[in-house]
Amino acid sequence: MQRDCLILFRSLTYAQRAERVLERAGITATIRKAPQSVSDRGCTYCVKIHAARMERALAVLEQTRLQTGRVFVAEADGTLQEVRR
Amino acid sequence: MIYLDSAATSFYKPQSVSRAMRCALAEMTSPGRGGHPAAMRAADTVYECREAAAALFVMSDPTRVVFTMNATHALNLAIRTCVRPGDAVVVSGYEHNSVTRPLHALGAEVRVAAGRLFSPEAVLEDFERLLPGAKCAVCTHVSNVFGFVLPVEEIAALCAAQGVPLIVDASQSAGVLDVRLSALRAAFIAMPGHKSLLGPQGTGLLLCGMDAEPLLYGGTGSQSALQTMPEELPERLEAGTHNVPGIAGLQAGLRYVSPRLADIRAQETRLLRQLAEGARDLPDLELFYDESARSQVGVLSMRSRTLDSEAFAERLAEHGVAVRAGLHCAPLGHRSAGTIETGTVRFSMSPFNTEQEITEAIRILHRVL
Repeated sequence: MQRDCLILFRSLTYAQRAERVLERAGITATIRKAPQSVSDRGCTYCVKIHAARMERALAVLEQTRLQTGRVFVAEADGTLQEVRR
Repeated sequence: MIYLDSAATSFYKPQSVSRAMRCALAEMTSPGRGGHPAAMRAADTVYECREAAAALFVMSDPTRVVFTMNATHALNLAIRTCVRPGDAVVVSGYEHNSVTRPLHALGAEVRVAAGRLFSPEAVLEDFERLLPGAKCAVCTHVSNVFGFVLPVEEIAALCAAQGVPLIVDASQSAGVLDVRLSALRAAFIAMPGHKSLLGPQGTGLLLCGMDAEPLLYGGTGSQSALQTMPEELPERLEAGTHNVPGIAGLQAGLRYVSPRLADIRAQETRLLRQLAEGARDLPDLELFYDESARSQVGVLSMRSRTLDSEAFAERLAEHGVAVRAGLHCAPLGHRSAGTIETGTVRFSMSPFNTEQEITEAIRILHRVL
């Protein structure tokens, strides 16, 4: 089963910029509100991608100096496993 | 009506502007206030407008495009960030009250680089003389009263050399002249959406070359558990619900203007020259016209030697010509040009004005004077 990866951002606008950067790099990305349980500072947004593209996506974002927040992979049972803080 | 008051508000807009606004009202709510489709459609529109502005003003990062209510709001944000009470601030002699009133309210020491009208060299010399020791400089790109194009690139170079942050008021130039944040190395560029960008009233942009301090505090849809405003732009400066229909309209205006910038300037320059040439033989009239056409764009001010400026504009209005008379919220510009006692009557062009309209306006000018 395809697992999802959630990359959190401090603001909706940062998430939007990341989504466009990833799409331009050929990585399908969608913006979602981040689950409350992982939103340290209250409401925040994340970009959802396939977990298999995570390393490449993070490299692309780093190249564009887009600051990311916490990164999670959704397990089969729906729990979120933090893979990067 | 022949509308020649576009320097106040553009009246003729592309149909796409009202269409985009109607669509926003019918299909969108607010960005950052939910993950549902209506909120996300609004978020897309708002971000796409940031991208369109970033492209037009040559910025690599759309998150540094901040939405404001108007240019005044944008200028207040910029000035409140850069200036502290008692700071020395150099301004051109052609600033609007949207610059001079916030500086006055802050208790800044304002140094005026007055410069002769249509003499960019004189303005530049004044800036060079007054900049040492200043904490900030503010310069309009184009005078709203006279259409005088100030040498902002050269002023920006002077400011950069002395480490003085520069705030550019692009209210009359955005959508007509080439305005580039990176080339100017400005701290901030402020502009309204409702003039030459052809968007609706109640919209404005602040392009940020540096971080800024908020004027308003409140909800941003992000980092809600904190009681401080987010550090990141644009949310730091955008508390409260966005004007999504306005931003949608502004985006349509930006899309219209972006590929046509050179044509818009050429058309406005052609019309201005036609009007000046047609009015110059009226003995009662004093024109504020740059014969070289090098330092003037879109705006032609004039005054009657016998008729009060407001009465002059009223007579034109009776004949269906809409212009603006008085001080145009820019007493400093009138002081610099020597027109503070009389004010002027201002004709300002739009890319949608036609040669036929100008011909008719000239005919009416001859009739009322």
